Amino acid sequence: MLNDTVNSLDLHRAKDITLLEVLDKALNKGVIISGDLIISVADVDLLYVGIRVLLSSIETMESLQGRHIPKRQFK
Amino acid sequence: MSIYIYGIIDSNDRIDESIKGLNGIPVSYIPYKDISLVISSFNGDIQDITKIKVLEHEDVLDRLMEKFTVLPFRFRTLYNREEDVVSMLKDFYNDFSEDLGRLRNKAEFDIKVIWSGDKIIEEITSDYDRDRDISAGDESRGKLFMEQAYNKYKIDREFEERANICITVIDNFFSRFASEKKLEKLKSKNLLLDAFYLVDKERQGDFKEAFDSLKASSSDLQYLFSGPWPPYNFVRIEYGKD
Repeated sequence: MLNDTVNSLDLHRAKDITLLEVLDKALNKGVIISGDLIISVADVDLLYVGIRVLLSSIETMESLQGRHIPKRQFK
Repeated sequence: MSIYIYGIIDSNDRIDESIKGLNGIPVSYIPYKDISLVISSFNGDIQDITKIKVLEHEDVLDRLMEKFTVLPFRFRTLYNREEDVVSMLKDFYNDFSEDLGRLRNKAEFDIKVIWSGDKIIEEITSDYDRDRDISAGDESRGKLFMEQAYNKYKIDREFEERANICITVIDNFFSRFASEKKLEKLKSKNLLLDAFYLVDKERQGDFKEAFDSLKASSSDLQYLFSGPWPPYNFVRIEYGKD
């Protein structure tokens, strides 16, 4: 849960930062196994995915406000 | 219909199948020996991928972390056939086991440290301008160019030295709680440090307390803390990275 003591501005910023961190980690890090067996969506370049995701950020943030954001703490 | 992979867990016990994955589809698992691959069915294509789905991917990993050690797979790992998934699980079992052993009961924490890089460069430049000999009058363009380039080099070097001193102090402070770390310094002029620490569950409280005390003691630097995360930065399996 986000820390209760942060004010609403900080809370909003914390959510933004958390979302960016999730995107950075999930898109750029983690186990990678790709080979002949894998038919992944990687036919389209990863960078394309990243840019597309990030470009949609502003309007989609609205719909994320009521959504569960992972249990990170920001102070 | 494809199979989407979230990660590997250090258990072959039945997982909580009320966990919802991409597109709200419940996750399931494929056990092999003492580990399992966590998956869900996936029906879609690249055009459907949005950041909502990235959050869904992360949400599954968070739920799994509550009970297991997790090796997070990179977002977008998709197979067409279950037999291929099983084959991959068997082929990489030893690698998965080794990483799970190393990462058992540990989580990743991120610390970002922001400083006023612009202001520091101004200070260095101003100190340098005051100290340097401005008595020389007629200088050729070539000499002036060389001097400016050299000055810039010296300013950059001092900026980096100051950054290194700060980073060393901060890192020494947090390293004692971590079993592994990754430091990325000066990703931008103002982002002094982006650090990732792998911390054992038993030491996570101490780590957070240390962060709070450091943050309270410094007014010049701004600190951001996040975690616990699945150990994205500490998995070592990258096979066929493009």
